[in-house]
Amino acid sequence: MVGLSVGEKHFIQGGIAQDLRSDGRKRLTYRPIYVETGVIPQAHGSARVRLGATDVIASVKAELGKPSALQPDKGKIAIYVDCSPTAAPMFEGRGGEELSTELSVALQRCLLGGKSGAGAGIDPTSLVVVEGKVCWDLYIDGLVISSDGNLLDALAAAIKAALSNTGIPKVDVAAETTSDEQPEVNISDEEFLQFDTSGIPVIVTLTKVGRHYIVDATSEEESQMSSAVSISVNRKGHICGLTKRGGVGLDPSIILDMISVAKHVSEQLINKLDSEIAAAEASEEES
Amino acid sequence: MRGLKLPLSQTQRVRLQRAFEKLQSLSAKANSDASLTVADTIPVNYEDAFLKGHGTADLNGELVATVCGVVERVNNLVYVRALRARYKPEVGDVVVGRVVEVAQKRWRLEINFSQDAVLMLSSMNMPDGIQRRRTALDELNMRSIFEENDIVCAEVRNFQHDGSLQLQARSQKYGKLEKGQLLIIDPYLVKKSKQHFHHLEQFGVDLILGRNGYIWIGEHVEARDSMVIDQAKNIEQSTVVEGINQAYTPLEMRQNICRIANAIRVLTSLGFNVDLNLIMETVELSSSLKIDIHDMLGSEFHVLVAEMEAERRSLTTKRKR
Repeated sequence: MVGLSVGEKHFIQGGIAQDLRSDGRKRLTYRPIYVETGVIPQAHGSARVRLGATDVIASVKAELGKPSALQPDKGKIAIYVDCSPTAAPMFEGRGGEELSTELSVALQRCLLGGKSGAGAGIDPTSLVVVEGKVCWDLYIDGLVISSDGNLLDALAAAIKAALSNTGIPKVDVAAETTSDEQPEVNISDEEFLQFDTSGIPVIVTLTKVGRHYIVDATSEEESQMSSAVSISVNRKGHICGLTKRGGVGLDPSIILDMISVAKHVSEQLINKLDSEIAAAEASEEES
Repeated sequence: MRGLKLPLSQTQRVRLQRAFEKLQSLSAKANSDASLTVADTIPVNYEDAFLKGHGTADLNGELVATVCGVVERVNNLVYVRALRARYKPEVGDVVVGRVVEVAQKRWRLEINFSQDAVLMLSSMNMPDGIQRRRTALDELNMRSIFEENDIVCAEVRNFQHDGSLQLQARSQKYGKLEKGQLLIIDPYLVKKSKQHFHHLEQFGVDLILGRNGYIWIGEHVEARDSMVIDQAKNIEQSTVVEGINQAYTPLEMRQNICRIANAIRVLTSLGFNVDLNLIMETVELSSSLKIDIHDMLGSEFHVLVAEMEAERRSLTTKRKR
């Protein structure tokens, strides 16, 4: 990330104050979103999302495993994010680790619900094959290919798209098993089960620059931020998670204000994303 | 369609394809076999002596390209000029760069070249405008002229023996750039022309097309004494800290700046050469159609611009005939 001169910083701040940002956007306008699904053939589901120059890939891989003893009726879901060194030289070696962890944790909080798995955007009970014995383990991996700000929103959108692209193989369980043994399973390679992704939230990050806040900040704008609040909102308009970055404090009334704005923005974002996902799936089937 | 990253509807795709086909048919035929991709054979006369240059390799007795680009021949030398490469400076080019380091008697500038360019304190016009030897005091005050991260416009002066590049800024028109935005595009899209500084009077905007693909779009400033400006800037900064935002670019001018910037972004993503005429036509097209500044980056406007350019080129070629 190159630094900005005083003049440029001033220009960016002025643009945000005047509601006309450097690329002509208003404060609450997203960059055009472009979705591509099925980009990784080996995965059960994958998607690539581009938001301006930000470019991320998410993949979903399912594996048969054993549910934990504490939660026999739930499958396991893991979310990890990796920052590719192609995105920025600073991600080389272990440089991207801090950001990767931060993004992973934020996504886990926003999508997976509590420790018990309650209130998760992805319903873990739908992953169980035989209660207490066999379940699906879902590995969701995000990869940042190119970074131009607002990675969290892009990753959440990519995960949503990848999950709606995911088909989990149908499993037949051999009927006669005693209670102790691990049941024999037969994985079908023809029949797939689709996920219900309508409950998966999108994340809207509001970045505060000066006295105003903006959505979908570019990395130049992010360099000017005082704090950023990421709010994940589902289709019903409910808040699923909230994380704050940046050291500067915020007045509680501003946060409430931000939440209502995020709710409003998320409606448009979800609709846009859904239509993009549908278009991407259609074009994938065509080719 | 050159990997255009745009969501296109069916009709838009057909229209864009047609526009590109039209453009292709209009482009000069004589030169069409000069462009190569990796591993293409370069046609040379093997009986003549020739020198293998950059981007070429010998494969089973055949000369092949190792980069995508255009074949260039200078006497016996055959080389491939890569398109998406770093900027290759030529003496006299106008470039825009960012200061990365303030060193002894010199600034180092990042100009998208394979190494940082050097701007010597002695090849600058001093702020007071007097021709004199640079003293140690001047050297200490270098940061009052340019600081790290400042954007500077300069001219390529010469190459040193060790391959490093020297710049000069011996005129009022060169110097620090403020109040605007920097756009970075592929250098091959900026062709050399007589004029790289443009003052767009109807918009009150300065446009500098750096040959290194760095394009500056900012508020118009009269050639001025930078020392005075620097002091004024410091005062300005302190007022900003106090929360007075008087100094921001006026909204109307900002709209113009953004519109021009987006016009350049559209032209770049379509792969058209960026020159003043084309930029102005794109800007006029967008304002005559009352397209919102942000919507200029959408697919529909891309298609419109491609069609406009195809139309324009077909008209100019007809006129030539």
